[in-house]
Amino acid sequence: MLIVVLGWSLFGQKTQYRIYVGEKVCRNCHHLQGSRNQFNLWRLSKHSNAYSVLFKPESKQIAELSGIDIKPSESPICLGCHTTAYNVEDWERDDSFHFEDGVQCELCHGPGSEYIDINTMRNRELAMQAGLIMPEKRDCMICHIEKNSHVSVLNMKKFNFEEAFQEIEHSGRGGGVKPENSLLAKANPTPGPKYMGAMACANCHGTKSEGRIYSKWHSSAHARAYAILGTRRAEEIANEMGLSGHPQKSEVCLMCHITGRGETAGQFMDSFDSVQGVQCESCHGPGSEHMIEAAMLNPDTSLISGLRNISSELCIKCHTEDIHSQTFDIETMFPKIAHSKWQEEYHRPEYKTPSNLAITQDGKRLFVACEASNSLIVVSTESEKILAEVPIGSQPHFACLSPDESVVYVSNRASDNVSVIDMNTYRVLSTITVGDEPHEIAVTQDGKVMYVANAGTYDVSVVDIEKNKEIKRLAASRGPWGVVLSPDGRYVYISNNLPRFGEFRTKPKSEITVINTKNSTVAYRHTVVDANLIQGIAVSPDNEFVMTTLIRTKNLIPMTRNIQGWIITNGIGILWKDGRVDQLLLDGVNDFFADPTDVVFSKDGRYAFISGGGAQEVAIVDIIKMKKILQNATDEERRDVLPNHLGLSSQYVIERITVGQGPRGMVISPDNKYLYVTDGLDDAISVIDINKRQRIKAIDLGGPKEITQARYGERIFHSAEFTFGRQFSCHSCHPDGGIDGLTYDIEPDGLGINPVDNRTLRGINDTAPFKWTGKNPSLKRQCGARLAAFFTRIDPFTLEQSAALDRYIVTIPRPPNRYRTGKELTEAQRRGKLIYQRIYDNSGNPIPQKNQCGFCHSFPYFTNREKFDVGSASWLDTHSVFDVPHLNNIYATPPYLHDGRASSLDEIWTIYNPYDTHGVTNDLTKDQLNDLMEYLKTL
Amino acid sequence: MYKNFILFTIFIFLNTQVWCQSGTNISGDPFVYKEWQSFTKESTQGRLINDHIFFLEADGDSLWIGTEGGLILYAHGTWKSWTEENGLPWNVVMGLAKDPKTGELWLALFGEGIARFSGGYFEHFTQMNSGLLNDVAFGIDIEGDNVWVATTAGISRYNQVTGEWAVFTEKHAPMEEVWTYNVDAADDKVYFAVWGGGILEWDVKTQIWSEYLDPDGEMEIDLYRDDGVAHVITTSASYIDGILWASTYFGLSRYDGRNWRGYMDHDSGLPSSFINLALGRSGQSCYNCTDKGLGVLVDFETDTWVTYKMDSDNAKTWSAHVMQGKEEIEVIPTNLDLPNHFTISVEFMGNDIWIGTGHGLARGIGKGYYPGLKISQDKDKTETNK
Repeated sequence: MLIVVLGWSLFGQKTQYRIYVGEKVCRNCHHLQGSRNQFNLWRLSKHSNAYSVLFKPESKQIAELSGIDIKPSESPICLGCHTTAYNVEDWERDDSFHFEDGVQCELCHGPGSEYIDINTMRNRELAMQAGLIMPEKRDCMICHIEKNSHVSVLNMKKFNFEEAFQEIEHSGRGGGVKPENSLLAKANPTPGPKYMGAMACANCHGTKSEGRIYSKWHSSAHARAYAILGTRRAEEIANEMGLSGHPQKSEVCLMCHITGRGETAGQFMDSFDSVQGVQCESCHGPGSEHMIEAAMLNPDTSLISGLRNISSELCIKCHTEDIHSQTFDIETMFPKIAHSKWQEEYHRPEYKTPSNLAITQDGKRLFVACEASNSLIVVSTESEKILAEVPIGSQPHFACLSPDESVVYVSNRASDNVSVIDMNTYRVLSTITVGDEPHEIAVTQDGKVMYVANAGTYDVSVVDIEKNKEIKRLAASRGPWGVVLSPDGRYVYISNNLPRFGEFRTKPKSEITVINTKNSTVAYRHTVVDANLIQGIAVSPDNEFVMTTLIRTKNLIPMTRNIQGWIITNGIGILWKDGRVDQLLLDGVNDFFADPTDVVFSKDGRYAFISGGGAQEVAIVDIIKMKKILQNATDEERRDVLPNHLGLSSQYVIERITVGQGPRGMVISPDNKYLYVTDGLDDAISVIDINKRQRIKAIDLGGPKEITQARYGERIFHSAEFTFGRQFSCHSCHPDGGIDGLTYDIEPDGLGINPVDNRTLRGINDTAPFKWTGKNPSLKRQCGARLAAFFTRIDPFTLEQSAALDRYIVTIPRPPNRYRTGKELTEAQRRGKLIYQRIYDNSGNPIPQKNQCGFCHSFPYFTNREKFDVGSASWLDTHSVFDVPHLNNIYATPPYLHDGRASSLDEIWTIYNPYDTHGVTNDLTKDQLNDLMEYLKTL
Repeated sequence: MYKNFILFTIFIFLNTQVWCQSGTNISGDPFVYKEWQSFTKESTQGRLINDHIFFLEADGDSLWIGTEGGLILYAHGTWKSWTEENGLPWNVVMGLAKDPKTGELWLALFGEGIARFSGGYFEHFTQMNSGLLNDVAFGIDIEGDNVWVATTAGISRYNQVTGEWAVFTEKHAPMEEVWTYNVDAADDKVYFAVWGGGILEWDVKTQIWSEYLDPDGEMEIDLYRDDGVAHVITTSASYIDGILWASTYFGLSRYDGRNWRGYMDHDSGLPSSFINLALGRSGQSCYNCTDKGLGVLVDFETDTWVTYKMDSDNAKTWSAHVMQGKEEIEVIPTNLDLPNHFTISVEFMGNDIWIGTGHGLARGIGKGYYPGLKISQDKDKTETNK
């Protein structure tokens, strides 16, 4: 049954694939008395139960605090430490292997296929050559290193390796192979229902049913009933009962400690494993007949098929009143094993977090994409009532109506698709797969072609609407975000959130991409100098110019310049038809307009409205006044002075209207009377009377009224209230909790030295320490006083604010990995994995353990959370030891290295590893390096 | 053994005669490009920024020109150029490919990788910042979402949607040598000219490589002309109408999937067997850039050629030689006045053709162009009288 593949010659020696065989195979030699008692010890340990606990409510809380927004039992990160062999492909696990067995022998001792042979195992050296690992403390600490998420939910005491090791100590040798299911003699099947074993029940009552039933049982004393007979206490009880021999061989003990004792051997199928203790079928009866799904779905049929009704009479056969000198009260005990669900559920309020919205031509309905609730909410502007809430994909971002208003298209950021929803029935008609992290959408005037900005793949999907299919991808810059069709329908303009890759320590250069709709090709790629976070984009109704939102991040200068108003300024870009781009600030002196997010024009083009996410305001720009300022300026002034002039905005920003928390997308009513603004963190729509220039009301989208600590933190994260002059928010550098692609001079180590690359906040809680120097042990430390000292230059957050911010940041989810779509790796990824794991170079020379990839970048976070000198320090660094970064979704966070010198993963090794100090890579051929890149992208 | 060799030689000889005799009578006239427009750096007052014309790529009515000194776009009488001073990552542009799907132009840069020219902006991919195999890129072409690059160290493939780079060298493909000179991609096949390694074929559907070598080995003479590709030192491949044209430094080959046909300067209208580039206009016709002019196989069936060249070093203009096989039928003067007939590149633009040489660029005006042969009125009458 074992499939062992001998691979091609690589790294100067034959590559041998090793297969995980599962504890059942190890048990053959390691489950007897004395020094061969390893199975019993393991089965009674927390390791054995590690998978089952993932289904507990606490695990959901931990996952949330780890930025994991999928079930813990499906998360590679959780499973990396809570089961065995998750980080391998299906074919690398034998049929005898089960995830449900938790942390098994092979997680510590390595896949067993090559060393399980008894002759190999008798020779330790030979066994280790065949893959047997005798783990060291550092191997254990990969999983047992303290995790903030676990500590805060489980209130765990600090992990003491020596104590813990003592607890699981299982030294000793194995013995001869025992016949499988040795407790039951083999026999030909007899008529009637057969015992299948708990693992067969798990097929339906495991992960498919959220795992509650199987896991509840697996965590119970019932499941450990056989293993417990292997303890000294069991032997004492047996002696007290006057029984001779080992309890695990005692007929009296086994009668109540395993399932099916007393039945004939022919009543057990091969899948039945007696050492699993008191299994499902002890109570529910042998399952071969009733386990069929069709039977189980019908209570009557299931009973006819042999499913037993449970009654106390059944329990008291074993749980007698004086069992082992203990009283047994069934009324008390029964709820403890009740397994229809865990007794307490974790409740998490589900906010709406409206992002963007669209309005019908008659102005009567708003279609609001809500990121947190994964839904599209339809609102009546007249009654202000919710007409429908349509569940769609994950993290809906933008809504766009078809020209004939038959359907609404909604981009789903985390699902990488566009939902097509009938505007009358509110039913989802279809979904169209596009690129990664789709943001805004535009549809041509004839309704035939859709353009979708894919922020994750740095391109634009062109969709044939009739075919409901993407037909091509067009190049854009980094993080395409906003999309708008020109009034004449000839061009589509795309804003790009992140700056282009540039030379080390140069100013950011961003881009507005222009697509010719005639043939769906890229017509222009206009450079916007010294700017980034270009998000909102709109074309003036007279088609004269394009306006974007932008921020101007002065990342090259020390953060001390914050008090001069010089770290981040916030403004607009104006793209003229000749390609010229003007920039003007929306900021006032000491009253900045942080995080301009969206822009729309009044129908007559007289005004532009800009939402300020961090300012929590909407700015109104008088276009005539704005043009006048530009017209009166010289070319030099337009290039060098106006983009930085903090004193001018009062001449064209005629009003700043306060709205709700986290304003984002906007639309204007067709009659030009109202401006609707999504208040993302209020779960509401602000309604602004354009003539009065006042917010007249807010339409409630029905989100929870309770403000959790994390929600409070989310508001702090997106608010500029806490920075000097309200210049910027956390979001300004970490849009969507990710990166802005820039390096900064944060001056704690001196001015102009030690530049550091911005790092993502997505799913980082358990990757402490923080900061590239690894000096900050927790996010609270990272975001508390330090933030005040170096970034914001005002009073630090209060303890309450700091705790809330920390709470929010840890819940920022890590998006799904787009390169690991199936269970199988591609050929290139598979080859790359071998390179990642290699211990010999291409010449057959051993690679020192500390220079192997997995030493520092170990699964599941791909960091050992230590500090290391990989020779990456530059002439600007005063130290050379840096925090080992985690590699999850590493493809999404260029540039790389601590100072962002490497614009691609390739450059880390082609340029910045000349002496093989960052892994041995200089012997790799280009195809091998490419394979390694392909694998790294899957992490 | 010896007897078998003689019989085999006779067989080959007879076959060769059949090939040669298949079009003994010219049944019509080939189209001859008599009217040309010539462009040199001097004649254009520097608007053609460099006279070494390495590659030509038609884009509707416009022409992209890859030169030793930059990239040029010629459109309706206007010239626009890009050099390292205004964003081109490297001046030496060896190959160009227009992506029919996205409309973007891809550039093979000799010594500096490749670039994507999109909306006026160059994105640069090198062996250091990407998975590109080698920075010495000779040729580039597009197949579906894939960009194929011929480099001095082998073949690179970049998938524009997935971002995956693949590498093909002697480790992954049947390559005798890795120095890849040229690539030509179609929907079903991608062909590579490998310097010393013959022709390499990639089947898009089956994802399988095939190699085509000269059965005569590396001999500089072609012992058996039609037994395979003329020589393993191939310089280009051109695949059209299911026919592969392959140029070498020792002659031209045509392959229809079953039979090979070889052409050399001593038995065809080729002005020289030293061919820099062959470009098929159809399965019947191929334009060959040689060190001694442009040799055009106009009609495969009748072995009719028109060869454009300078008849002497002092010639002011080029002349067109109409030939059947090696036999010269007619010499027609043209106004083509480029000072150098070392032709490097050729491209079709509707009925017109463009040629790039070691000293300038020229456009052959194809007014009245027709493919193959056309029966002239005089011949028509003669045939009727018969």
